[in-house]
Amino acid sequence: MDFLLSVVSGLNSASNAVGGLVFFWIARVPGELSITIISAIIGVLLLILFKYTSNQKAIGRVRDEINAELLAIKLFKDSLRVTFVSQARLFWGSLKLLAYSLIPMLIMIVPVSLVLAQLGLWYQARAFRIGEPITVKLQLNRSFDDLTALELEPAPGFETVVGPVRVFSKKEVYWKLRALAGGEHRLVFRVGDTAYEKRVAVGASLMRLSRKRPSSQFLDALLHPLETPLPPASTVRAIELFYPSRDSKICGTNYWIIYFFVVSMVFAFVFKPILKVRI
Amino acid sequence: MRVKTCVFIFILLFTALFSSNAHAYIGPGAGFAVAGSFLALFTALISALFILLTWPLRYLLRALRYRRVFALSKVRRVVIVGLDGMDYTLTQRFLSEGKLPNFALLRDRGAFKPLESTVPPISPVAWSSFQTGTNPGKHNIFDFLTRDRRSYAPRLSSTEIKAPTRWLRLGKYRFALGSADIRLLRKAVPFWKTLGQHGIFSSIIRVPITFPVEKFYGVQLAAMCAPDLRGTQGMFSFYTTASESEQVDEGGEIVRVKRQGNTIRADLIGPENPRLKEAQVMRCPFELSVVDATSARLRIGGRTVLLKQNEYSDWIEARFKAAFGATISGICRFLLLNVEPEIKLYVTPINIDPDKPAMPISHPPIYATYLSKRQGRFATLGLAEDSWALNQKLINDDQFLDQCHQSDDEREKMFFDSLDKVTRGLCVCVFDGTDRVQHTFWRQLDQTHPCHQGAYVPPEHSAIEEIYQRADALLGKVMARCEGNGSVLMVISDHGFNAFRRGVDLNYWLEQNGYLKLKENGRNRRNLSGVDWSQTRAFALGLTGIYLNLKNRESKGIVDPKSEAASLREEIARKLQELVDPKTNEPAVKRVYNAWKVYDGPFKNDAPDLIVGYHLGYRASWETAIGRVTDRLFHDNLKAWSGDHCIDHSLVPGIFFCNKKINDETPRLMDIGPTVLEMFGIKAPAHMDGRALSVALEKG
Repeated sequence: MDFLLSVVSGLNSASNAVGGLVFFWIARVPGELSITIISAIIGVLLLILFKYTSNQKAIGRVRDEINAELLAIKLFKDSLRVTFVSQARLFWGSLKLLAYSLIPMLIMIVPVSLVLAQLGLWYQARAFRIGEPITVKLQLNRSFDDLTALELEPAPGFETVVGPVRVFSKKEVYWKLRALAGGEHRLVFRVGDTAYEKRVAVGASLMRLSRKRPSSQFLDALLHPLETPLPPASTVRAIELFYPSRDSKICGTNYWIIYFFVVSMVFAFVFKPILKVRI
Repeated sequence: MRVKTCVFIFILLFTALFSSNAHAYIGPGAGFAVAGSFLALFTALISALFILLTWPLRYLLRALRYRRVFALSKVRRVVIVGLDGMDYTLTQRFLSEGKLPNFALLRDRGAFKPLESTVPPISPVAWSSFQTGTNPGKHNIFDFLTRDRRSYAPRLSSTEIKAPTRWLRLGKYRFALGSADIRLLRKAVPFWKTLGQHGIFSSIIRVPITFPVEKFYGVQLAAMCAPDLRGTQGMFSFYTTASESEQVDEGGEIVRVKRQGNTIRADLIGPENPRLKEAQVMRCPFELSVVDATSARLRIGGRTVLLKQNEYSDWIEARFKAAFGATISGICRFLLLNVEPEIKLYVTPINIDPDKPAMPISHPPIYATYLSKRQGRFATLGLAEDSWALNQKLINDDQFLDQCHQSDDEREKMFFDSLDKVTRGLCVCVFDGTDRVQHTFWRQLDQTHPCHQGAYVPPEHSAIEEIYQRADALLGKVMARCEGNGSVLMVISDHGFNAFRRGVDLNYWLEQNGYLKLKENGRNRRNLSGVDWSQTRAFALGLTGIYLNLKNRESKGIVDPKSEAASLREEIARKLQELVDPKTNEPAVKRVYNAWKVYDGPFKNDAPDLIVGYHLGYRASWETAIGRVTDRLFHDNLKAWSGDHCIDHSLVPGIFFCNKKINDETPRLMDIGPTVLEMFGIKAPAHMDGRALSVALEKG
């Protein structure tokens, strides 16, 4: 698991650096435009990746078989026997097609997850506005009985409104803060002798937001790439900020990924015959 | 296999375990594939549901509508295997030598008879009589070629293709307002159309003279006379870096190309661009790079194929761009003949792509696509085997045989698919290999054939015997598929075969006997363009026909149809029957038929007035066929095309095998249709000349 985590951390560092370079312009253009451009380009790039990671000849052959069966059903529609045999072959063909797409699917999971994690930093939420309440959750690995001290160090750009509030059953601690100044800040939590940091972004402009300092779990670390995961033996498991939703039907919270999916599919479809890819 | 299974299960488990998380989005490419496979499944399920729900109603309606036919039908299925040109005498010989065990079995269980062909015994005529059950006077096909009544130029007798007449012109482009007029000139109704009218489904594969296809209840793939993409009956291409070498006079073209290092660049020549106002052919560029002394790499349309010397490539798609977004797709095979010192590359005629047919080669149109998806691309050209290239010695015997065998293999796949699909109804498939091989390899059986030029070398293996044995193997598989399911199996051929040693220039004979007059410098001009029509009373065109230059029929007719025509016919026929070859002292003509007497029906006026029935060894010369008048009467046939059947029909009967006994001594090709109709309980239409054979009258 440590090995996997170090791999993910390494990949995250690389994708953060590349993502910073490739996606920096997202901050300067309307979200609707940037997500459309990015989805289109990624759709085409993944199509190319699919072409070279899949067995195109075999996929073409199975596609032809499937099309032949569909045409057979139409041509010999008065024969129930032909219909049933073709149905069975269609079913088998669909399974074969699925099997042929597994390898490229597995290969694509890695780059796609990294890209989606990077895009999530931009589109999943918006930064806090000055004066807006900020909820912070600290998830512990141990019960409160084992703790000697737990506090949030005073930060210059924030004031504590409520907290810490402990939820003993879930091993969680909450604070409610208020931002007093814009910019990128750091919150420092002290648990015993150890300090844990979490980035906070305040302001009106678009910026990369790290919603969570992730735990040492593989998927958590993969989906929250901007901050280093907390070590497995650490007292604190994860620190999470509840950023407000980004308000847009295309590039806002809960929509951007659907929009990305649809637009990338459309562009992949459009470029499929041009790039001669069989899927 | 075990490793593959393990890998598959591992991948499946891995995906199942990790894909539960909603974030494991797999991207558009693979997402497509997954969606695609489910979409296929979903479409299939919906269509199956629809078919299942509507099937009882459709079955009931059909049962009610066709209850009489279903009740009277004596068979569930009739299977007809057509072996073009399979000769009765040769079959008898191979049977007696024990070389055709499956045919022998079929003969012993059922029947083996000579099958009477048509006058003349030529494939388009004979197969038209087969499909319509009529004599040529009713189906209007008398030869491969007929004459244009205005210009006297030869034209295809079965099909007429006319470009659209109305166009919208925009700059250098034009857009058709309407489609091209592609017309089948064969008249009368095929018997499978009658079957369809009574609810019997038919699958008709590669029966000659079915282009363009007609609508009926069933599926059909067109054959003989279906053109290539350029609209011709097959135009091969030969690319060479040699500056002076092969010459081609018929059926193809030689393209001389420059070698640049190890590469040649050239274009496949396509049809004329229909979108341009100025006539201009479309081209598909390709590049050939030499890899070593026996192979070269072909790049065409973004695809790279390694060509090995003397091995045909698979069918390769060639796309011709007409305008932005408009392409026409064809397919061809490449054969690398030589690499050093000169590159020689043979390319088959560019066939219509069955995957995206540019012309109506199948009914319904999706049937060709279905076959292409099912078995891969296949030859669609009517005469798929390129005997012209063999005649010109551009490809050798083995390379030509390869083409014949490949075509038959393709056809076998589609035929077996139809046998699997059609369990009640009619299945017909015609195989051409027997015809093409006998045409081109009869010389192996004929030591005195002029093409040997006195130097006959016995072949290592007999191509004709081999093709008959291939037909026997095919029959074995067909018989296995017809066993125990109530199928009546017939194997037929449209005519037999014999030697073609000497060609007769009929037009020269007509000239010598005062019936035809040439213009000054008119000799050796093609398409009868050298003929002085004002003084010509008769002319020959095609493989067996002599036409009178009749007033009110031909544009420059001089023969009075009432007062002169009948006696002129008699006179020419009588004289021609006396024709003796001075070289052999043998009669060249067995009998001359008066079309007005042997044909019956509304189209006999379009027939040649006289049909020449040549003796064994003779045929119309190559020049006569295309309307070229030479300077001598007899020509030695020096081509590989050494066997023929365009002679007197009594000399070349076809074959008739059946898995049922028959009493008829002389079945005719035109009897097959009425026989099949009768077997299905349908009375043959009154216009049919054929009669049902005894096998149809027995109880099933």
